[in-house]
Amino acid sequence: MTTQSAPVGAAAAAVRTRRTDPAGRTGRRRPRQVRLLFLLPAAIFLGLLSLFPLIQLLRMSVSAVTSATLNQSWDFVGFENFAEGFATGQSTEALQRTLVFVLVVTVLGMVLGLAAAIALRSRGRWSGFLLALMVFVWALPPVVNGSVWKFLLGDAGLINTLLLDSGLRDAPVPFLYDQYWALMSVAFVNSFAVIPFNALVFRAALMNIPPETFEAAALDGANRWQEVRHIMLPAVRPTTLVLLVLTLVYGFRSFDFIYVMTYGGPGTATNTLPFLGYLQAFVRYDFGLGAATSVVTVVGVLVLAVVYARSIRREEAES
Amino acid sequence: MNRRSGPVVVAVKLLLTLMYGVPILWILLTSFKSSADVFSTQSSFLFRPVTTAYVEAFDGALLEALRQSVVIATGTTALVLLLAIPAAYGLARTRGWLPSLGLGLLIVLQMMPQTATVIPLFQIFGRWRLLDSTFGVILADAALLIPFATLLLRPFFRAVPPQLEEAGSIDGASVLRTFWSIVLPVARNGVFTVGTLIFLLAWGEFLYAVNFFLSPGSYPLSALLAQQVSAFGINWPGLMALAVLTSIPILVVFTATYRLLRDGLTVGAVK
Repeated sequence: MTTQSAPVGAAAAAVRTRRTDPAGRTGRRRPRQVRLLFLLPAAIFLGLLSLFPLIQLLRMSVSAVTSATLNQSWDFVGFENFAEGFATGQSTEALQRTLVFVLVVTVLGMVLGLAAAIALRSRGRWSGFLLALMVFVWALPPVVNGSVWKFLLGDAGLINTLLLDSGLRDAPVPFLYDQYWALMSVAFVNSFAVIPFNALVFRAALMNIPPETFEAAALDGANRWQEVRHIMLPAVRPTTLVLLVLTLVYGFRSFDFIYVMTYGGPGTATNTLPFLGYLQAFVRYDFGLGAATSVVTVVGVLVLAVVYARSIRREEAES
Repeated sequence: MNRRSGPVVVAVKLLLTLMYGVPILWILLTSFKSSADVFSTQSSFLFRPVTTAYVEAFDGALLEALRQSVVIATGTTALVLLLAIPAAYGLARTRGWLPSLGLGLLIVLQMMPQTATVIPLFQIFGRWRLLDSTFGVILADAALLIPFATLLLRPFFRAVPPQLEEAGSIDGASVLRTFWSIVLPVARNGVFTVGTLIFLLAWGEFLYAVNFFLSPGSYPLSALLAQQVSAFGINWPGLMALAVLTSIPILVVFTATYRLLRDGLTVGAVK
């Protein structure tokens, strides 16, 4: 399971159900608020282990911190770390790579996710088996999927063997060690991992269409493409918006396939923003610089979170 | 659907079957090859199956890693459910600025990149003496997954009719008691779904494990796999054998909960 594809995704679904509001309708507001106490344990836990670390990250990003000074007091350096990241071009290049990466993951993930959902709408053994297979692959740890694809995309791997044997290429494609191919390969595997989830969500929206709609369309002589265009696409439109933001976030924060398949290489070719921050902190031991890069990533995520919240609200207003 | 599938649908299904079937098949085939077979003809179907990779992989270190994976995944699942269930119920049954703020924070937290949280947690755990301890990794994993679990559980609790609880409180049951003996049993499907997902995610998590454990001796399976695949000169059959062994528990959990996952994941989208 591409770690967070699921988490992020399912939450969309979670928040989307807010339609009726059982609380407070009975007019006995006061006793009900006792249930706020139920939030307390999780609030304390997350305060200590999620919010406090984020504050530390912020502090670290404006300080000079190396592995030697990690556990001592940190020297305040202002925005020097941020300036260094952008002045050396590392952050700028990583940002560009991240945008390309996110674009590929999102387009492939959304288009193939919808295509899969439409294809799997039919009942039958093949569809049932294929859906189960896809959900299983999605549930596998990213390290497992990443390992297999690293193997399949190698010089003597299956894909290159097929390309060579069929005469399409006379030299193996350097999928994982060419500057441009590497980013595309990892982006492809990332979308491979998110397609099953997107297909599940799209499929759920398609199952909601009453069968009579299709019967009526068939009577009117609609062809398959017209069914897709005029019945299915409008039916999944509200879902699409939420899913789109989730896929964007998934691509933006992704690091596990990069870690497994290229470890940021060759050179810096697959250093996306989140992975660059990690490398700076844990490989070059410049925790201040790594924290600054991570703060930039966090800001990106915050922007997407706002877009996400707004798209949920708009969808609720429409439904 | 009484129409026959068109050629486009068949083509898409064929493509997807290859895309998702071949990798699974390949892990299995490679794990039964000898190293020599992999290097001479990596992609052949014709080879003499050997279990060398499994025999070599199966040593004390592997069993230790398996034990670590089980401890971390079950520990994380238990801790997450313990905290997320009451939180989700609280958020489902209260209103006002406080729960709204909580919801917003949870959405933001569950989108946080893990590479950003691993940096400060490394420093904090160093100070709290939680580095190199399984408990520390469980705490970090739980913090990572609680926002997601809470957000996914909330609609399941909202779906429980409040009238049920009112009946309970008229009979004189306390809030805690109605929650425990009325609400929780009704929402148990949601709890199972979320519990399964948390287990799967915790089983696959490797970034915290790789960085918080100071020696590979305490790595869970996922971290071991991540460490070996990013090393030079990979022993592919051994790696694939390790991948198969890492995936077997996933297959067991998946087989037992597939229907729940398929329908529960999209609960918001369906209803």
